[in-house]
Amino acid sequence: MEIDDILASVDSSGVSNPESTALDHQLFTRFWVAERSVPELLPWPSRLMNRMMERIQHQISTIEDLAATSSDPSNITTTTTVPGTTNTTLTLSILQTDLSRTQYLIRSLLRQRLAKLTKHSMYYLLLSSTSPPPIPPSSNLANPDIKSQQPEDSIPPLPSSHSTTSPLSISEIQFLHTHQTLLARHFGSSFLSSFPPQLRRLDDNAGGTSMVQGPDLRETVFVRCLAEQVTVVAPPGDGVDEVLGGTMRMGDVWVVRWEGVKEAWGRGDVEVL
Amino acid sequence: MAFPLPRGITPPEISFLAEMEMVTIVPRQRLEGLELLGGPISPLIPPRRTPVPLWLALLLKRQRRANILPPPWLHPESLSLILDTETQHQDYKHAFSPPPPLPGQPNMRERGQRPIARPRYTPEGQRYYRTPPFLPQNVARDQAFDDGEPPTLPFHWLEVGTMLLDVASDDVVDPDQTRRLLKELREVRSAKIRSGVDLLEDAATAGGGVALTGVGAMEIGEGRGFISGVVDGLRRIGASKEQARREQMAEATANGGYDATQDDDDDMEF
Repeated sequence: MEIDDILASVDSSGVSNPESTALDHQLFTRFWVAERSVPELLPWPSRLMNRMMERIQHQISTIEDLAATSSDPSNITTTTTVPGTTNTTLTLSILQTDLSRTQYLIRSLLRQRLAKLTKHSMYYLLLSSTSPPPIPPSSNLANPDIKSQQPEDSIPPLPSSHSTTSPLSISEIQFLHTHQTLLARHFGSSFLSSFPPQLRRLDDNAGGTSMVQGPDLRETVFVRCLAEQVTVVAPPGDGVDEVLGGTMRMGDVWVVRWEGVKEAWGRGDVEVL
Repeated sequence: MAFPLPRGITPPEISFLAEMEMVTIVPRQRLEGLELLGGPISPLIPPRRTPVPLWLALLLKRQRRANILPPPWLHPESLSLILDTETQHQDYKHAFSPPPPLPGQPNMRERGQRPIARPRYTPEGQRYYRTPPFLPQNVARDQAFDDGEPPTLPFHWLEVGTMLLDVASDDVVDPDQTRRLLKELREVRSAKIRSGVDLLEDAATAGGGVALTGVGAMEIGEGRGFISGVVDGLRRIGASKEQARREQMAEATANGGYDATQDDDDDMEF
């Protein structure tokens, strides 16, 4: 009986449990710092964000209720004394400060993500669409209606199902698609229409060099090692296997390349500072 | 433009983060417990010591509703001990004084013991280790530093110290002396950052890195632009050399050679 109660409280602890509120706040703060510091877009933590948004909704209604009762004149005269009302204003100001701080974090996170998205829009668009339906790369010569080639053609269609590998949230994909369509149309009408048709695409990879630029994963970040030890790696590529580099010990703060600790970050073994 | 700030959190954002550190207050008035988005706050009952986030402590202090108990390291005695370690101690001529241990990490006296990381788990089942600003590094303790444990500077020392001196200087022991010591510490440590520039080349190589253990959050914030600029510049200069080495290694592995690592060592010395 008692154990069942405990289990039930654990199951329903999703949003209301104060312990999990504190934990989610810490996780979200750390995610915000990481998103602000690393060169690429991090995977969207959809479950964490859903919990955060639900709590914010709940907190807003709590504040509104409290504000309504404190401004209700009949309430003041009957139930609460004068020191009680000053306490209510204090409580309100604390709750509102706390709410604004959380909202600031969320705004900053979303704007940072938008900035990364728009900077490398084509890269993320291809990344989020290639996973389920493979898009044929620019087939310039094979294309029969090459005469009507437009910059918009390089934009992949919106993926029908949201892939789990994509680092973007659903609304970010929609935004990115609309953004890039507008941009391509604008480029097309302002200057690309005067180019030869085969030069109008935005994802050309003629001569083996892709036009689509991604974020530079070799940029440096500051990290703190949280596990007993973490080895910095040089990721595989160019026919070279993964090479192990220096070893960080617990509590160490290092300046390293992001690509060297990205895997460890995914495991939760390092923290970006 | 969606977001004008540079990559990496800026000093105002670091101060914002430091305001999440827990400090101890002595409330002067009652307040029922609150469920905040940052976690619950226990009821305030004077004169019971209560841990609250720094932003709340500053809010209450400004309204004269509470007094803040300064953290044990923010005391002239502790600060001058740390300053001695920074300047006199042989081991820390070119390094920062050691930071407070993370949970599971052996402290100064038990050095040599193996650290045992104690993760908690997120609702998604991921490992999660608590770190500043979510460790009680700035709460008051009963004995200033128990059993001769030397004082240490927490990660957010500069921000917490400055904010407490600004708002609650009447709660800090000997604020002028404390302020002077903080300034000296800051100067000693930023000189160490500057003198470490030579080593930054290590961070520009693949798999390499430069240790800054013991550095403060604000010191990272101040040095971030310079350090990452230098490292990224060095990396770009060395990019073709690195590419050549990788090709060499790829060739060696393709030939079934086992001496890929030895090649690597030779190149490192050049």
